[in-house]
Amino acid sequence: MGLEQLFTSAFIITWLAASVRLAGPVLLAALGEIFDELGGILNIGIEGTILFGALTSFLISFLIGNAWLGILGAIIVGIISNLFLAWMYITVRANQVVVGIIFNLLALGLTSYTFRAVLGTQARPQKATMIETLDIPILSDLPFFGPVFFSHSIFLYITIVLVFVSGFVLYRTKFGLNLRAVGEHPRAADTAGINVIKMRYIGVMISGAAASLAGAYLVLGQLGIFRDNIVSGRGFIALAIVIFGRWNPYKAALAALVFGAADALQLSLQIFAFKIPPQVLLCLPYFLTILAMSGLMGKAVQPAALLKPYNKN
Amino acid sequence: MMSKASFLERRQTPKESSSVTIFITALAIILALLFGSLLFLPFGVDPFKAYSTMVEMSFGTLRGIGYTLIKATPLIFVGLGTIFAWRSGFFYLGFEGTILIGAAAAVWIALLTDPEGAIGPLPRLLFLLLVFLVSFVAGGIWAGIVGVMRGKFGGNEVILSLMMNFVALFLVNYLVSGPLRAPGDLPQTPRIPQATILDFIIPGTRAHSGILLALFAAIVVWFVLRKTTIGYKQIVAGLSPSAAWYGGINVGNRVILAAFIGGGLGALAGMVEVLGVHFRLLDGLGEGTGFIGIVAALLGKLHSIGVVIASILYAGMEVGADVMQRRSGVPSSVIFVIQSLIVLFILASDILRYYRINLSKLFGNDRGKKTLEVDSST
Amino acid sequence: MVPYIELRNINKRFSDVNANDHVDLSVNMGEIHALLGENGAGKSTLMNILYGLDYKDEGEIFVQGQFSDIRTPSDAIALGIGMIHQDFMLIPPFTVTENVVVGLDEEGSSPLLDLDKAARSIKALSEQHGLEVDPHARVEHLSVGEEQRVEILKLLFRNAKLLILDEPTAVLTPKEAEGLFEVLRSLADNDHTIIFITHKLHEVMNISDRVTVMRDGKAIDTLKTKSTNPRELAMKMVGREVVFHIDKNLGKSGECVLQIENLHVDDDTGYHKVQGVSLDVHSGEILGLAGVDGNGQSELAQALMNLRPIKEGNIIVNDVDVTNISSSLHRSAGMAYVPADRRKVGSVSELSVALNTILGNINHYATAGNLIIQDLQVREHAEELVERFDVRPRNLTLDAGKLSGGNLQKVVLGREIMHEPSLLIVEQPSRGLDVGATEYVRRQLLTERDRGTAIFLISAELEEILALSDRIAIIYEGEIMGVINSDEAVVEAIGLMMGGTRLEDLPGYR
Repeated sequence: MGLEQLFTSAFIITWLAASVRLAGPVLLAALGEIFDELGGILNIGIEGTILFGALTSFLISFLIGNAWLGILGAIIVGIISNLFLAWMYITVRANQVVVGIIFNLLALGLTSYTFRAVLGTQARPQKATMIETLDIPILSDLPFFGPVFFSHSIFLYITIVLVFVSGFVLYRTKFGLNLRAVGEHPRAADTAGINVIKMRYIGVMISGAAASLAGAYLVLGQLGIFRDNIVSGRGFIALAIVIFGRWNPYKAALAALVFGAADALQLSLQIFAFKIPPQVLLCLPYFLTILAMSGLMGKAVQPAALLKPYNKN
Repeated sequence: MMSKASFLERRQTPKESSSVTIFITALAIILALLFGSLLFLPFGVDPFKAYSTMVEMSFGTLRGIGYTLIKATPLIFVGLGTIFAWRSGFFYLGFEGTILIGAAAAVWIALLTDPEGAIGPLPRLLFLLLVFLVSFVAGGIWAGIVGVMRGKFGGNEVILSLMMNFVALFLVNYLVSGPLRAPGDLPQTPRIPQATILDFIIPGTRAHSGILLALFAAIVVWFVLRKTTIGYKQIVAGLSPSAAWYGGINVGNRVILAAFIGGGLGALAGMVEVLGVHFRLLDGLGEGTGFIGIVAALLGKLHSIGVVIASILYAGMEVGADVMQRRSGVPSSVIFVIQSLIVLFILASDILRYYRINLSKLFGNDRGKKTLEVDSST
Repeated sequence: MVPYIELRNINKRFSDVNANDHVDLSVNMGEIHALLGENGAGKSTLMNILYGLDYKDEGEIFVQGQFSDIRTPSDAIALGIGMIHQDFMLIPPFTVTENVVVGLDEEGSSPLLDLDKAARSIKALSEQHGLEVDPHARVEHLSVGEEQRVEILKLLFRNAKLLILDEPTAVLTPKEAEGLFEVLRSLADNDHTIIFITHKLHEVMNISDRVTVMRDGKAIDTLKTKSTNPRELAMKMVGREVVFHIDKNLGKSGECVLQIENLHVDDDTGYHKVQGVSLDVHSGEILGLAGVDGNGQSELAQALMNLRPIKEGNIIVNDVDVTNISSSLHRSAGMAYVPADRRKVGSVSELSVALNTILGNINHYATAGNLIIQDLQVREHAEELVERFDVRPRNLTLDAGKLSGGNLQKVVLGREIMHEPSLLIVEQPSRGLDVGATEYVRRQLLTERDRGTAIFLISAELEEILALSDRIAIIYEGEIMGVINSDEAVVEAIGLMMGGTRLEDLPGYR
């Protein structure tokens, strides 16, 4: 196939639909991470929480046969695991980068172990009961917009709704204002009567629910199986999306789409006899993030108290 | 804020002393091992037996020691890189990437010295020197890119280095699927020439001379940080950029040097892996080592000797865990759990420094005020 | 009449220091009550307890006669108490409205924000009390005076009836301070009660109805302002006859050591902070630079050491142009610098005392091409410093951060003095130090001056400038308003210059 085929609407539709689909899980995780970082916590452990969610949802769905219970289980596990993270970040006030890295290792070990303990060491990939794709009636029949936006897993619809919910909560509610205050100037927030500790805990636990839900999304909405390190860096991509999207849910959605588009493009282009190594395209979103974070394009205006633990004294 | 009527009294300032540090580290290791032993039970394995088998397998047999040293070597390099970078205030997390870059550079040079390669066979010493330099500089430049972004433009090195890991991954993936691929379908390069393989240093094992280089590097890093003006400036820049600025130290330059040296050391981890263990470049090389090495450095409190000990400990655990998996079916990933729990417990125990145990309240009598400090007075 | 606020027997310890020692305080409604004391007297601690930022070990608080257990700022706010700190508690990227509204959560109110409604109320409030400010402006674009108005609006918006202000004029010009006092008087006339913490006697005399003096954690006395005077207050504050001038002879000044010619410097935000400063300092004299913090002094001092780029102008030390040489060479040119922040800038807290004594001068203690540090030399140098300047404890391996303020200052000052510089630049030398340490530092400076060192003293404490300087320069908004000899110094004139009047424009200037 040649260059002309590239610009047919069929290709573009397939590509965009794939972009949206691939963007889903990372966007969901990124939304949660926004609540961490706006409160002042850089949570690198998000990769680990996604992994916990992935495993939990897989096991429950596989063993019991009910995907919805799997989702519920994932959310509960995510909140609990992030409770621990929150304790390390906020109460122990350990170095956030360090805790995140170690937590990811812990998650890798625990999930890998649990998977084998339950399924046996030589397990071949087993399929779990998944959540089916949902075609939204009428809308999914629209030309172009139909396949691109309205024929997706229910997870995606939930994620999109959550984008708007996050935007609303962050910019239109007192909770949102207070959370952002905590991430900018915790001492000022404290003297204004905000419980800084409580707000940060809530933020981290929200991201726990979102991240583990993203793990469930990955397993029950896309891949259907579980294997070691199934998350393979998507948590870090979520971190990039948060920054690329300037800690704003709507911009993060666009950023996630860019990542999804590069991923999808690289898959599609393999069909074509192109000389561009697929790795270049895969690299593209990372390059963009690197550019955005490099400081070459001016300082990213991050929450001023990011990474700084709060000590009342 | 309110003092509970408990035996735990809150201090105003944390008590610190090295005997406390050692006590807490030991306690953390024991607790982590206890936790880990819970994971053995579902497999019907006696934890005590399992641990002693692990120790025997990693440190009790010659072969085991060999494997342990092999696994420890790249961890030590990454750990040393972590020390130099982090103590300079440069929180580099890109060692996964530097391992790949260093490995790629080493394989490239090694293949060039193939009898049919562009350079042709070289005298051994010359080859070793060349491959060392090229690997180190390649890793140094790789990390240096992030260093420049941080030092000159104020970019956030945590995210940048994580992103660069992906770039390195794709780069190597490209190389082994394309330009450097050996004939055949597997994503890997041809095997490097026999003349380029590192010497085995312990007969009966596959331990290679990389460990000697790693130990030497540990001494060098210690010396530089502790005894030279360069080290002093790096440390001051890392502890207090504003005081460094006041003292005439250019923090941006310090960061760039930290990146270069840290990246170079990380690259050496990749170099020894290909020249001593895998003998070719392939996908997934050194996966995870880049992060476990950081954790080992943290366990070693960012000191050279600590890093060496911690790396050997972690390597021993991995060797033992492999054996255990083969023998009893307990997944070797249980080791990641123990490795991470050790450091997490140490981090969490930091909060203990803020408390002292009041013995008299603990045992309910108020006869005299005996307080046992969690920390011994030194 | 029941006092509006009553604090009884408040006791608060921090490890081995008794910050508040059985303190009683009572404040009446509608009065402006000054809390006077030096650094470390316990005023801020007491008010932090009243505002719920800290919790007492013993004692009771009564608001309008009712016992009140205040544990968090929310409790205090609910009782109508508000506090404004020295560092403003404002969030720069947020607007004025967002800053005023943040953290507010009345019983049964909606979880949603209504910023427009709030903005309208704020506008009304600001007009009512003479606190002009634009509700939609971002705080990062406001001036210091405007920021303070936002802080006051924050309190009024929460229906605060008691306003606590901690050193409110520390960062204001005299003119802005007058404006603040007008607002305070108007608020007091409108049934608000004001407590303000200060160490400035003239403020107490100017605006307060009553004053409570604190010293070493104790409340010494409470007086009606009208029936006391600055000297009496100063005595109670310090506990002994205050000598306003240390017995100093006038320095015998010699050659010109430092010549600053038309210096222009920008600050970190690109603002033209130092605008054409020209000064000279001679050997054997102390030139004091007076001025409210933030008028360019810091940037000037940093530029002298080339720690900050110089836009225009020249710096000449001992006839050598040092304008653009690297900062590490300044020390070899005979310059030394004691910065204002001794903990974050002047020293490295996690490094040993010994290693701190070579900061800024490591090459001097290194061999092999300035590469290898001579541990022995370093230790000898550190031992000498610690002996000579009486640093306690004498432990060289102790982390510098564990030293008290006074001892740390001795290390920093000692380190700079031991270079035997021809020019010593000192910034806020006694800030945060207790009386003993302050006296020690000042005597050291005079000793150095008598040995022939030229000293450029920058201080926001006018009393310190007057006590030490041979000549006094006043800086305001980056420009020198005038330079006078200390024996001709009249405090009022200096105050006027600090507030922006040039020497030539002073009434009575010939």
